[in-house]
Amino acid sequence: MKISLMHGAGGEVMGEVVDLFSKITNTNAGGIGLEALDDGAVIPIGGKQVVFTTDSHVVRPLFFPGGDIGRISVCGTINDITMMGGKPLALSCGLIVEEGFDFEILGKIVESMDHALCEENVALVTGDTKVMERGALDQIAINTAGIGVADTIIRDNGLKPGDAIIVSGTLGDHGFAVLASREEFDFADQIVSDVAPLSGMVHSVMKSGTIHAMKDPTRGGFASAINEMSKKSNVMIRISEENIPIRSSVRSASQLLGIDPLEVANEGKVVMGVPAEEADSILQILKRHRYGRDAAIIGTVTKGQGVIMETEAGGERFIEPPMGDPVPRVC
Amino acid sequence: MPKQGYIIIRGIVQGVGFRPFVYARAIAHSIHGSVWNTGSEVRINAWGNNFDDFIEDLKRGTPLSIIDSIEIHPLSGSPPDSFSILKSHDGIRTGLIPPDIATCPECVHDIFTQGGRYEGYFATSCVNCGPRYSIIKTLPYDRERTAMDIFPPCLECSDEYSDPSCRRHHAQTIACELCGPVLMLHTGDRQVINVSNPIQRTAELLEQGNIVAIRGIGGFHIACIGESSKELKNRLGRTEQPFAIMARKEWIKKETMISHEEEEMLQSEISPIVILDKKNSRAHDHISSLHTLGCMVPYTGLHHLLFSHLKAPYLIMTSANAPGYPMITTLNDAFVKLTGIVDYYLTHTRDIVNRCDDSVIRNGYIIRLSRGFAPKRTKIFLGEKAILGTGPELNSTVTLYTHGFCITSPHIGNVRNPGTYGYLKETIACLRDLMQPDISIIAHDLHPQFLSTRYAKELSEVTDAVLIPVQHHQAHIAATCQEECIGIAIDGVGYGSDGTIWGGEIFEGSAPEYNRVGHLMPVLMPGGDLATTWPERMLYGILPDEKTKELLLTRTWTEKDLLILEKQVSRRFNTAITTSTGRVLDAAAALLGICRKKTYDGEPAMKLESAAFGSSPDTWEIPLTRIGEAQVLDTQSLLKKARDLYLQNPFDTSAIKQIAASFQYNLARGIATIACNAGASAGINTIALSGGVAYNEMIRKTIGDVAQQNGYTLIVNHDMPLGDGCISFGQCVFAGKKDKL
Ligand SMILES: [Fe+3]
Ligand SMILES: [Mg+2]
Ligand SMILES: [Zn+2]
Ligand SMILES: [Zn+2]
Repeated sequence: MKISLMHGAGGEVMGEVVDLFSKITNTNAGGIGLEALDDGAVIPIGGKQVVFTTDSHVVRPLFFPGGDIGRISVCGTINDITMMGGKPLALSCGLIVEEGFDFEILGKIVESMDHALCEENVALVTGDTKVMERGALDQIAINTAGIGVADTIIRDNGLKPGDAIIVSGTLGDHGFAVLASREEFDFADQIVSDVAPLSGMVHSVMKSGTIHAMKDPTRGGFASAINEMSKKSNVMIRISEENIPIRSSVRSASQLLGIDPLEVANEGKVVMGVPAEEADSILQILKRHRYGRDAAIIGTVTKGQGVIMETEAGGERFIEPPMGDPVPRVC
Repeated sequence: MPKQGYIIIRGIVQGVGFRPFVYARAIAHSIHGSVWNTGSEVRINAWGNNFDDFIEDLKRGTPLSIIDSIEIHPLSGSPPDSFSILKSHDGIRTGLIPPDIATCPECVHDIFTQGGRYEGYFATSCVNCGPRYSIIKTLPYDRERTAMDIFPPCLECSDEYSDPSCRRHHAQTIACELCGPVLMLHTGDRQVINVSNPIQRTAELLEQGNIVAIRGIGGFHIACIGESSKELKNRLGRTEQPFAIMARKEWIKKETMISHEEEEMLQSEISPIVILDKKNSRAHDHISSLHTLGCMVPYTGLHHLLFSHLKAPYLIMTSANAPGYPMITTLNDAFVKLTGIVDYYLTHTRDIVNRCDDSVIRNGYIIRLSRGFAPKRTKIFLGEKAILGTGPELNSTVTLYTHGFCITSPHIGNVRNPGTYGYLKETIACLRDLMQPDISIIAHDLHPQFLSTRYAKELSEVTDAVLIPVQHHQAHIAATCQEECIGIAIDGVGYGSDGTIWGGEIFEGSAPEYNRVGHLMPVLMPGGDLATTWPERMLYGILPDEKTKELLLTRTWTEKDLLILEKQVSRRFNTAITTSTGRVLDAAAALLGICRKKTYDGEPAMKLESAAFGSSPDTWEIPLTRIGEAQVLDTQSLLKKARDLYLQNPFDTSAIKQIAASFQYNLARGIATIACNAGASAGINTIALSGGVAYNEMIRKTIGDVAQQNGYTLIVNHDMPLGDGCISFGQCVFAGKKDKL
């Protein structure tokens, strides 16, 4: 078998790559390891819970409405640490650049990284640069790794029946912004990526509320994240379609292209399961934050399995984990 | 010379009046001994001089029975003083009970016999009629294992039950007004209406224009008179989809072109919905905007009584369910889901154990395999191992193979929502319970995301069964012909073995080895499933040029949206590739302005067929080409030809009808030509045809004509749906043959 693009698309096919890593003998350094397939690892060091995670970024185009590859590479790692309950402290940066890449553009990317780091007061403490010959790589790839410290560890498998499901804002913005600018689709309203670092917002929730489970719905989108949470927590989740926040521009783009907004990436959103009695107060905290203005309670957790959406038309359908590419099934 | 024997009779011999039949024959021939049910079989101990004549009589069976085999074994011991019917035993399951059977003429007569015991009783039945599958919990078939268990028979019913001379001797469903299920009428806000004759009252309410939910044999119907159709459409939000009607036979004969065979089918013990051509294709368009009308006649005591009080010649009778969801069976569910849709509920107190929708038939071909047909038993040897076929996703059934027979379930529906998925699981559980197989093979569709595929995988973990994926269109052909053949599978969608979407396929071979020797031209579906909902996207996907753009601009498309569609196609962004015949017909319907949005399954193609009805087609050149080894019908050229003709005269209705007819006709000729060419080079002279598009009369007949002219025999399955209802059966056939290799 050969690696296909689907293997990196965050859908079910990616599982085949993940399976390869079961060959690694030691996957755990004492806390939460690779086997958990959570947003990051946890390593206990001297009475502290250190969160450690890494992410590589290859977005095309490099600059898109609302962000660029630099901002994503910082936010992705900050958010992964945050999703484990960690406060991000420091990041590394590994650059791989194609020979001939414009210095000025690289400067802009780095500047954008700095903005995102400053927003959350995180340091970039170490780095590495490799240049590959022309044609061996398409422009640039950025890897970041990061560490943080967690007082409370939050997993993606902690949902309990009765919990409310909250999303911190509109879904599908990043995916549609990037595909519109990559494919040069001219939608009536420009769609702007949501790429943002979430540690400030999430920690203000953690300060005064309980989060049972959380995850950032990046590759594979909300559909993938919510299914993973349901499966790992062994619960059923019921989502109400009319409560899912989706921008009208995203909705109409989705109706023109046949792409489900729930199946494309978000880069500045969090999906959390919280105790029902705290749902409203947590929602208010989120809404006060600039990245959580459109937050909404969209569902509930029950006993059972799978994710069911109660549709606006009064029916029910399953929200299924995307395969990577949509496959038609209508007769 | 007295003879004796221990007799085992296998087949459909329970629920068909078989024990009373055996009893009567034994008495007639002075046979002593006993008869009892075991598992799904009937067993007899018999002693007597007329033993051989007795056996000869048994071979004839009862009207509803199907005898697979009669075995006679040695019997020792001395005979009892008489012949008797004994209590049932458990045992192996090779047979089955029959499907639900329409109320027989004798019972209808009883219902309308003044002063009779059954006068006016809605649930009158006998050994020859009444519910069977819909009320059974498990085998052997006896009252205590059916939904009738909570209705102990009164003295008079008990007398009839044990009277060998009575038609209700050992009729498990025997019941009367005193002891059986009763009717209840509820208002829209769930209050009971106290009324002496709920049926008569219901007839009055219907007559006044009310919409009433009526609980039937296998589920609820929503009923109203023709004048209320607009209101019903509004309440259901279903403005386009035709309704089925229940009508008096005389009215149906007056309004439709019904053949003698169709008339027989209409009032048979199956009593399905028969799709009939209207005499005037534009008449009754408040029921159906197509040239056809789906008709059935009253088939239960309740229906007969209702019509006896009704002045209207027909009632709209649509299954109570959202499209693709299972029919509602319980009153509670009806209360919840039909709020705001119906004004009254007419219900009864007999539980519906197994849901069963109305069957649908057209031109002798089964469209929906359900009440009266299913569970459908097919004799076919596929090896010693039990096989489960979990079906496709749309119009699904499931099939269980065991001991030389396939049992196909009633229509389940579109297995893509939690409700229907639950029904799929229930149906499999029910068949497993009735047949008790040791499932060692599970066959499923190749589509990785179908819920039926997912359930197959889940079940294989519990049962340790081997999974065998079966390509959708190969399952269609395996369900149609088990010998070597050229197979034509034409339908809407199926996952191909190359990962693209198939649906216009020509194979050569026999299960499990098929070569794909021909297909329609692979074309783009801009937006994937979106192109199925909006057929104009399909039109552009096949003909992405300026002329199509100009045409779409004259419709409701904006310049901006078209630009995005254009870019989507030129950049191949989310444009699945398909060889589907249904999508090509959709594109033609869109081109001709016949259907611009699909609101129910198959709508564009069905409307195209209706538009073409009555026009005689022109013969066009068949554009054939090759891709690799396969012959390919260039549907792009066909559609271009249609577009050229259309643009000459876009407002001429009769020209449009002519183009619609010619397009279908030449598409069918092209497909048939590929099949004949394939047959010639492989030396095969049988062509098998399956797939939902084969319901299109002109397409099916044209393929048949071309095949015949070239000396081929065309096989079309009359016992299974041509659409996806046959897939589970085909999966079992394919998997059974594969396992034997
Ligand atoms: Fe099919
Ligand atoms: Mg987490
Ligand atoms: Zn009868
Ligand atoms: Zn009685």
